[in-house]
Amino acid sequence: MQPLANVTPLKPPPRAGAIEVRNVGQVFRTRSQDVVALEDVSLDIKPGRFVVLVGPSGCGKSTLLMMMAGLRAQTAGTITINGAPIPQPDPDRVGVVFQEASLFPWLTAEDNVEFPLALRGVAKPERRAKAQDALKLVGLEGFGKRHPHELSGGMKQRVSIARGLVQDPPVLLMDEPFAALDEQTRMTMGDELLRIWAATGKTVVFVTHSLTEAVYLADEVIVMSPRPGRIVDQLQVSLPRPRTYEMLSGDAFGALRDRIWRHIRKSA
Amino acid sequence: MQATLTIKLARVAIVIAIFALWEMLSRTGVVNPRLLPSASDTLATLGDLLQRSSVRTDLLVTATEVLAAFALAVPMGALIGFLIAENRYFADVAKPLLFFAFSIPKSIFLPMFILVFGVGFAQKVGFGFFSTIFIVIMSTTTAVESVKVEHLTVARSYGATRAQTAFRVYLPSMLPVLLEALRISMIFNLTGVILAEMYASRDGIGHQIATWGENFQMKQLLAGVVMVAAIAMTFNELIRWVETRCSHWRT
Repeated sequence: MQPLANVTPLKPPPRAGAIEVRNVGQVFRTRSQDVVALEDVSLDIKPGRFVVLVGPSGCGKSTLLMMMAGLRAQTAGTITINGAPIPQPDPDRVGVVFQEASLFPWLTAEDNVEFPLALRGVAKPERRAKAQDALKLVGLEGFGKRHPHELSGGMKQRVSIARGLVQDPPVLLMDEPFAALDEQTRMTMGDELLRIWAATGKTVVFVTHSLTEAVYLADEVIVMSPRPGRIVDQLQVSLPRPRTYEMLSGDAFGALRDRIWRHIRKSA
Repeated sequence: MQATLTIKLARVAIVIAIFALWEMLSRTGVVNPRLLPSASDTLATLGDLLQRSSVRTDLLVTATEVLAAFALAVPMGALIGFLIAENRYFADVAKPLLFFAFSIPKSIFLPMFILVFGVGFAQKVGFGFFSTIFIVIMSTTTAVESVKVEHLTVARSYGATRAQTAFRVYLPSMLPVLLEALRISMIFNLTGVILAEMYASRDGIGHQIATWGENFQMKQLLAGVVMVAAIAMTFNELIRWVETRCSHWRT
């Protein structure tokens, strides 16, 4: 299943990207003191992997994600995506999915999805075609003319994912995309995301607070601790794919979730 | 805001009732008809007045002054408001001062405008401008603050240029607040210009209304009131109609 196969990328990127984080640090300087948000973080993410960052508030997981997106500069170390640093946002290499409030309420779903293409001056027919493909991929065929306020929370998040995928970037960064959703929608969206990921083969880095979500989605879970933000554990999740609801109550799943919880309880 | 048919009918009924009460009070002599001419007489007088070229000239003079003041105050106020909102330090310094300035009744400055500009076009436009610009500055500041940080981050993450961010994020985010600002500014602007005309002027509909009042021409005076009220309401409703069309932008 390759719903994006008929989309011609602007300049053909590899389907999945490699991310290298080397000794990255981030210090916020305030008037009274320096706050170390991240300290000596190193990570190697292979192409096509689904990696989840978890940790309590203030552990710098979102900050790290924003740095991978080129939206924020680190104060130490290097980050490369497909071998090149990312000093500013580069939509050819990275698509970002934010929380649901990030859709533009004055644009229809398809105009929201087309937004990144419109910025680069892609012609309307091509833009529309790509947006339709992306909406179809996220299961929203036929909803393109609706405005965000006419869509449910889950549907809005699908639009955000479609917007992140519309340029077919090798890397998809997701910053707590399902945090505002209710539990049921969240589970469904998790399955949807895994389906989309399997269909597109992207490298995904996903930030969440939810341990269950982390284990359910990930190939690999990176556990972070706060003050200063650093990596305290890296877990390989070897549960078979596709993941199923029944796995949630299995011993293997429980063991992984407990291991993450013990780290988080220590630092909280 | 969607009104059902019954609500609309009730509104029309109230307006008719007010005019009917007005007519009745005057006709039955409960209120001295010399003080309160009947509604029908007033509307007939309004028809006559609109035929008169002198009244039409007055309306044109007022309209020109109002539009000139508006055309100066809105872009200038919007620019100042935008610059204030975009600079944190500037905003912290200027905002309380603006609130102070806004709280002062502008009418007390009218004699100074006459001393500086003399009686005429510049004095009325100047005072209309002065009455309007503070509300424009304050509304624009609010409008800029209504732009969501998330939306700016999205634009940045997809590589938007400054111009693209301005036109594709700032402008549509601000539009609902700006439209409301435009509507309220016009109320202040119209009040300012007409007040200036009533206080000291040789022409304009405000001057005419003041003259009718001084000469105890109650029919003309009331007709003038109805005329200005109708013009103001028409403009207000026009903008409100545009506002409702983009009301869901706020969500």
